[in-house]
Amino acid sequence: MAGLLEGKVAIVTGAGKGIGKAIAEAYAGEGATVVVSDIDEGLAKETASGISGASAIACDVRSEEQVKSLVDQTVAQHGGLQIMVPNAGIGRPVPLLGMDYEEWRAVTSVNLDGVFLCIRYGAPAIIASGGGAIVNICSITAQAGTPLIGHYSAAKAGVMSLTQTASVELRAQGVRVNAVLPGFIETEMVTSVKGDFERLLGFPDGQFDQVIAMKQGRYGTAQEVARMAVFLASDRSSFSNGSPFVLDGGCRASLL
Amino acid sequence: MAELEGKRALVTGGAQGLGRAIATLFVERGAKVMIADIDEAGAKVTADELGESVRAVSCDVTVSSDLEAAVQATVDAFGGLDIMVNNAGIEVVKPLFHHTEEDFDKILAINVKGTWLGMKAALAALPQPGGVIVNMSSLAGLGGVPLFGAYSASKAGVVQITRAAASELRPTGIRVNAVCPAFIATAMVDRLKPIVSEIVGVPFDDLAAMKQGRVGTPEEVAEMVAFLASDESSFCNGGAYVLDGGLQAGML
Repeated sequence: MAGLLEGKVAIVTGAGKGIGKAIAEAYAGEGATVVVSDIDEGLAKETASGISGASAIACDVRSEEQVKSLVDQTVAQHGGLQIMVPNAGIGRPVPLLGMDYEEWRAVTSVNLDGVFLCIRYGAPAIIASGGGAIVNICSITAQAGTPLIGHYSAAKAGVMSLTQTASVELRAQGVRVNAVLPGFIETEMVTSVKGDFERLLGFPDGQFDQVIAMKQGRYGTAQEVARMAVFLASDRSSFSNGSPFVLDGGCRASLL
Repeated sequence: MAELEGKRALVTGGAQGLGRAIATLFVERGAKVMIADIDEAGAKVTADELGESVRAVSCDVTVSSDLEAAVQATVDAFGGLDIMVNNAGIEVVKPLFHHTEEDFDKILAINVKGTWLGMKAALAALPQPGGVIVNMSSLAGLGGVPLFGAYSASKAGVVQITRAAASELRPTGIRVNAVCPAFIATAMVDRLKPIVSEIVGVPFDDLAAMKQGRVGTPEEVAEMVAFLASDESSFCNGGAYVLDGGLQAGML
């Protein structure tokens, strides 16, 4: 049975691990030729080696030069580009009043500037290839203030806004732009900072998991995010453009 | 792709339009479908056209016993119910203060109460965990729309009861989500085109092209519903998923 992304070329940034890796795997499973991109070249190569037909290209999404080169190399190697997934992101809990400007810049430059650069250089290649989709990996923290990750949350809100503008500007050229807004997903990014959240919020050990259980029922999985990313990259979502696609187990559905 | 293989679905308002497209795609993906519609003859014709995996039942969604009977008919025909699609709805298109009291009561009764009654009836049969409810809202449920005042209020109501149901049912493992399409090529939109054109003063198709690129298709809405009905969306709950070609995203 033909996959949903048969014949498409896709770039996934931050694909060495976590959600990006799951998306790269899912895309390849649906027939896409995937470029696994990561700032950590070794990790990108390791992940790509486990995915049929995938290749690895190192890229620091904060660098205009490197993002441009990532797109150019992809087009040179595979003859085009139909799908761009700006997924690379970082985050760690820091209270606003303890946050130095360098920390703010570090997170916003990867999470927001990086998405801008991927759109800025990815979209022309997609247009030149006859159209396609950009799937921005955003977060439910784009929709509400999130204590201790003010930089992350603001950058993600910026990504949502950028998604909307890009969707309207690029519509006539056949590029759909949507955003995936996961809740808390069981990835290293989240599990590695649970203790910091608990310490900074004055929670007892283990309370973070209880809060997640109360708000979302459970943690989501990277594979669940990847299935949404498949849907949004595929023709099955052909009339969706500029919208937030939340998957959070019901967290945002309740004010409580 | 047979992602709904073996699933048993009930689609209200399934005789035509979006409901028919949903039933059609569900069958393609391997599901069995009960079409419930107030237009019994239309439901039977559609069911016959879609083949032996589809049955029809008469149903007025403002009547709780009709919905209970439709759920029972699904269980009797297919041995169970896995997916409830509350799709039946009507429109009223006129300036807000030209709505009659009857308009207001009727649209809220069908679009909001009908969705609530559909969810309630389905709970008697949906598996826990694993049952899925998809409610048909509208982009109008997420933003104000001139000429669609009561419709918009009713569809906002659908979004909010979707959210409440999602939160309350989460411990049971039943997921509830809403779909919010903009203008889609259906008989409903054909009916409102001349009204909108006249009152707004811009030909409908030009307005649609400017705001949403083009008019969407029922098949595109059906794809979103199928995604939410399948295990592909296992972490989606209480969401309102938009298909509008970019209408809501743009300020201009």
